[in-house]
Amino acid sequence: MNRHLKVAFMVAPFLAVLGYVGADYYNENLAAETKIIQLAAEGHCDIINQSCVLKSGDFKVNVSDEGGVTEINSTFPLDTATLFLVDKHDKATPYPLGMLKSPYYWRNETPLRSLVSNKGDSYKLRLIIKIKGGQYISEFTTQTAK
Amino acid sequence: MENKETYWSENTRIILICLAIWFVVSFGFGLLLVEPLNAISLGGYKLGFWFAQQGAIYSFLGLIFWYGHKMNQLDIKYDGESK
Repeated sequence: MNRHLKVAFMVAPFLAVLGYVGADYYNENLAAETKIIQLAAEGHCDIINQSCVLKSGDFKVNVSDEGGVTEINSTFPLDTATLFLVDKHDKATPYPLGMLKSPYYWRNETPLRSLVSNKGDSYKLRLIIKIKGGQYISEFTTQTAK
Repeated sequence: MENKETYWSENTRIILICLAIWFVVSFGFGLLLVEPLNAISLGGYKLGFWFAQQGAIYSFLGLIFWYGHKMNQLDIKYDGESK
């Protein structure tokens, strides 16, 4: 092994570490960029009967209502979540959800239950969820099935 | 003196080539071009993923030996001239 090879073997680990740090920095910046991803309802959405799942890849959000409190439960921790109730004139009323125990559970009191209390009633909703590196949006309709 | 300067400039050129290949392999193939390279499969693995995980390391090892070999040649060339 000549002296140049020895020097190269000594320098290489520093370059490898430099590469690792650079790649980490690049990926972190990439992840911090805001991406907008649409969530779609998985099958029939019935919030009042606790059967409404929104999905995009591995990310799932369960939307339910219990006694006038609308709650969402997600598979990944959320930064913020806002639910909008959209009336027939397409006017959206925002309901920012508050964190409950952990960033997987968010809730707020909404008038949704009174709006879709009878069988067959439906109502349009929008949900905006922020997670580091992305914003998930969804427009869906809940319909009370029973 | 002139010999030393030429030796150093050739040495610098080899180092710059090594650094360029290091950058292309680690950042280029492993990060910036990872998506298009992932369209190509190598032994069941996506090429971009393979470069990020293993290919870059193999290339670095290859670079070390190539650098050693080239510098050896350079030493022989200039030692030979000076003798």
